[in-house]
Amino acid sequence: MTAVLDDWRLESLDESLYACRELIEDTTFPTVSKWREQGGKVAGHFQVYFPEEIAHAAGMLPVKIRGGPLDPVLADSHFGSYLCSILKTSLEFAMNGNLKLDLFVSHPICDAARNLAAIWGRNLDYPSQILYLPQNPNSSHSATYLSGEYGRLKRVVARVSGAEVTDENLRNSINVFNENRKLLRELYDIKRETPWLIDAVDAYCLVSIGGLIPREEHNDLLKRLLPQIRQRRQKQQDRIRVVFEGGFCEQPPLDLLRMLARTCYLVDDDLLVGLRWLTEDIPLEGDPLFNLAESYIDRSSYSPVQHDLRKPKEAMLLKRVEKAKADAVIVAAAKMCEPGLEEQVTYTHALDEHGIPYFVSEFEENMTSFDHLELLVETFLENLLFA
Amino acid sequence: MVYAGGVDVGSTQTKAVIVDDQGTIVSRALIDTGADVLGAAESAFAQALEQGGLDKDDIAYVIGTGYGRYRVTFGDDQITEISCHGRGAVHMFPKTRTVIDMGGQDTKAIRVSPSGDIDDFSMNDKCAAGTGRFLGAASSALEIPLDNLGTVALSFTRPVRISTTCTVFAESEVLSWLGKGKKVEDILWGVHQSIAVRSFALLRRVGVEQEVTFTGGVARNAAMIKALEEKAGVQFNISEESHFMGALGASLFALERVAGEQKTQPSAETDR
Amino acid sequence: MTTKISAEEIVGRGSREGAALFQDWFASLTNTAEEGGRGAYVFVMGSFNEILNAFDLPIVFPEINSLQTAVRKVAHEYLSEAEDYGYSPDICGYVKADVSVQFSRGKHPMGRIPKPAIAILTNACNTYIKWAEIWERIHQIPVVTIDVPGTRDGAELDKQDALDFANDRQYVVAQIKELIATCEEVTGTEFDIDKLRENMEAANTLSTSWKRIIDLNKNRPSVFNALTDGTVFLGVANGFRGTKEGADYFTRLVEEMEFKVAHGIGAVEDEQYRLAFVGVPCYPIFRRFNEMFLQRGGTFINSTYLWFASGGTNRGFEYELTDPINSLAEGVLLSVRSAMDSMFHQDRMLEEIADDYGVDGIVYHAIKSCRTVSTGLADARHSLSARRDIPSLFIESDMMDRRVVSEAQMKNRVDAFFEGLASRRQRADNA
Repeated sequence: MTAVLDDWRLESLDESLYACRELIEDTTFPTVSKWREQGGKVAGHFQVYFPEEIAHAAGMLPVKIRGGPLDPVLADSHFGSYLCSILKTSLEFAMNGNLKLDLFVSHPICDAARNLAAIWGRNLDYPSQILYLPQNPNSSHSATYLSGEYGRLKRVVARVSGAEVTDENLRNSINVFNENRKLLRELYDIKRETPWLIDAVDAYCLVSIGGLIPREEHNDLLKRLLPQIRQRRQKQQDRIRVVFEGGFCEQPPLDLLRMLARTCYLVDDDLLVGLRWLTEDIPLEGDPLFNLAESYIDRSSYSPVQHDLRKPKEAMLLKRVEKAKADAVIVAAAKMCEPGLEEQVTYTHALDEHGIPYFVSEFEENMTSFDHLELLVETFLENLLFA
Repeated sequence: MVYAGGVDVGSTQTKAVIVDDQGTIVSRALIDTGADVLGAAESAFAQALEQGGLDKDDIAYVIGTGYGRYRVTFGDDQITEISCHGRGAVHMFPKTRTVIDMGGQDTKAIRVSPSGDIDDFSMNDKCAAGTGRFLGAASSALEIPLDNLGTVALSFTRPVRISTTCTVFAESEVLSWLGKGKKVEDILWGVHQSIAVRSFALLRRVGVEQEVTFTGGVARNAAMIKALEEKAGVQFNISEESHFMGALGASLFALERVAGEQKTQPSAETDR
Repeated sequence: MTTKISAEEIVGRGSREGAALFQDWFASLTNTAEEGGRGAYVFVMGSFNEILNAFDLPIVFPEINSLQTAVRKVAHEYLSEAEDYGYSPDICGYVKADVSVQFSRGKHPMGRIPKPAIAILTNACNTYIKWAEIWERIHQIPVVTIDVPGTRDGAELDKQDALDFANDRQYVVAQIKELIATCEEVTGTEFDIDKLRENMEAANTLSTSWKRIIDLNKNRPSVFNALTDGTVFLGVANGFRGTKEGADYFTRLVEEMEFKVAHGIGAVEDEQYRLAFVGVPCYPIFRRFNEMFLQRGGTFINSTYLWFASGGTNRGFEYELTDPINSLAEGVLLSVRSAMDSMFHQDRMLEEIADDYGVDGIVYHAIKSCRTVSTGLADARHSLSARRDIPSLFIESDMMDRRVVSEAQMKNRVDAFFEGLASRRQRADNA
């Protein structure tokens, strides 16, 4: 397969970042089309986490479905009211032909999203499957169960792709994705330690693009750009360090992030956390499926849609704030996002207890006017600066 | 000559229609509903009678429709405006399969079978976005009479996109565009577009099948017609009686009841 | 000599006895609360009463507590308290009403609700998970989440591969054992497998009777209103699962319904339109909602609510008492999975109901609070309409929040629906 990303090797850092931003805002998904044109198959997976290694090992391109800023003209009538936008826009891309898949997989992250599988299945021709990740990771049997469930997924993927998935394939894929996650952790280290070296929107696009291109290309891109970013001569400014919490599923529009980036340093966040879910390398020795499963259970991040008694969300947020040496938190939630809205209550009470300033907000992926919000955020940050 | 009447009591306006036994409109009346709903129904009916040179006793059957239908106590029965708009639309345009009714307060999408029965319907009566109410809000915000909105909007050159979903906040958006120097007609076209997008989404819920008939007071707004037709990709049937479609449908149902009553009456001959 | 039972005695007996059982249950809970005792908080989709009753833990169904506040017209007080605390108007009303109960030390219109000693939930509803996390924070109690993997295919309800079913079942078995261990810790009593067997036997009687009763509505006329009567029966099916009272109640209920069938006593005198209800009832105007349909000659003969809100036990799964733990796991897996299917694949469930029961119309009731049931409802409806020519009505409101329930607007739609049904029937008669 030839590369789906246009040749960026000869471009400067700024040009490469610009190209990434363009791709993220392109709702025709040209990289996925390019993959298909070469005869490649596509496994679309919804938020939050998906064991992409399994699809990758079968030679498929795993694509993170994450909605987008468009009007769900075709999809709207398939849904009721009081729902988040990401469900509709995600289906819209499938229905308007912009995103052609060979397989769609979702996991019951919330009551709204778990309906996607059936709606997708009723309206589109290719298989629509549900992956049941454990909501009881505290059971001693959960890793065994998940390993079996991954085995089932492997068989589905093999059937769709027509390719066998051997342990060898899986180990290779795990290797590629281990490297990818390591590079993403490095990117986040840069964000945390020297946020003035990389604009929050650029950092976001560098992560986001991974869900749209072969991971090998993503690794090459990051390996080339991260050193260049580290060597930039950008001055540190006197800005408030902020954690953005609430971007684990529906994504805030880029303009919202741009607005925030203008006013503060976004030193950590949960944006597209599904692409960065595993926090350590997956071991390569032993049964790769079991290792993949165990890593989900024991070496993973947190979100309002994953239940784990060892990782109470507010405790994890406080840890994030501490590690990032953040001054404040933006406790955001997508409109109508039930788990997000519920977690806002927990987060804000915990932050109150620990005396950490925060700003509560709701967003929608296709909002276009930010004047009002910008005013509120600026006021909030100014108060902190002058305090 | 047999006459039948229909009174459509909406939250803003009350319409009355009288038809003859062929279903032809003999007379009509339109007044503001106000607080006295029964009074409005009675006045509208009286005005229609006067216009037709008729007396109350000339009307064999009256059906009340609209939100205030149960207050039409002088009527013989009540039927929902959903059924009535469907009936009226099919009467005016027999090939109607989809109806979009936009009044001052709500929007309805109705799909009818070839025989004129309601197959499915979807209503937006919770949220002002996508209804004539937004036009009302724009009218007061921009200080342009409601009846002129369409004409002004049609002279747009550089359309403005109204992004706020909520009508209440969209009013501020309208004013803020004015403040940024945008032209009134461009903003107004944006308002019409915004309503068209949401109304079309409502239409899609019942499925758009040709022919589509546009009814209700807003159907007289040329800009709304253009915006909606563009969204739907089809031309709509629009009657001059679009504002009276509900009352017309009601009077046609009333006519059917009269015919039914006559059918069940034993004729003098069979009685022998 | 056989004693003949009179119609007077038996007709309506189930509703009367059900109401009485409810009163007793809440009186007992109030007692427990006053004495400082605690209960087991459980949910309708996978309650594990069979196990919990073996530990003599008082059973509390927060979902039922919450809906009672709406039925008794006081939900708005509870909802506003939770919203003042920070919970969004856009999240599930059941959760908010319960948060208010928790903050007010168990205050409830039916008495007092005891605090939890333990909470048990399944993943059948994701809100359960967030809800239990709230209890964890308020009460610092053990929260046991039992994963019940559901149907994997979004398009089909195919039978699962044996290997995969075994994987799922083993997981549920392991989790049940862990639940038992937690219960032992919490109560300080040893698990008695004979008690479990007894409870499972009672549950068997209840489940098979429940299925029978729902089946009896295939008769014309139908013998109970699936919306109003059904909710009473459902309450007992959930609250008294795994108990002798529950089993006895349902045995007597079968007797009542069979009597009605034998004597042609219908739920309504003049059954004109047989309707299926899809979704969660509109509790804020519970009686009035039914009346809107009753007035126009409509009666509800079946409902997907009876399906998913009984945790799929309406399918009548019977436990194998010789192998209790494994059988319990299999039963829970199949029943809860079926409950989930009835929420995501309503179109297929409704097809079954339409074919078996003879349905004149379907009423889809999407609610703001429950995205599990409501998100896919419009699409399921369209999918079914493409396959079956059955008239249907789609209305949106809520099961808790009076603010989004508009009676006038609802009546408008209901009337239009019946106008359509009537003209359809007239056309069919004339043909």
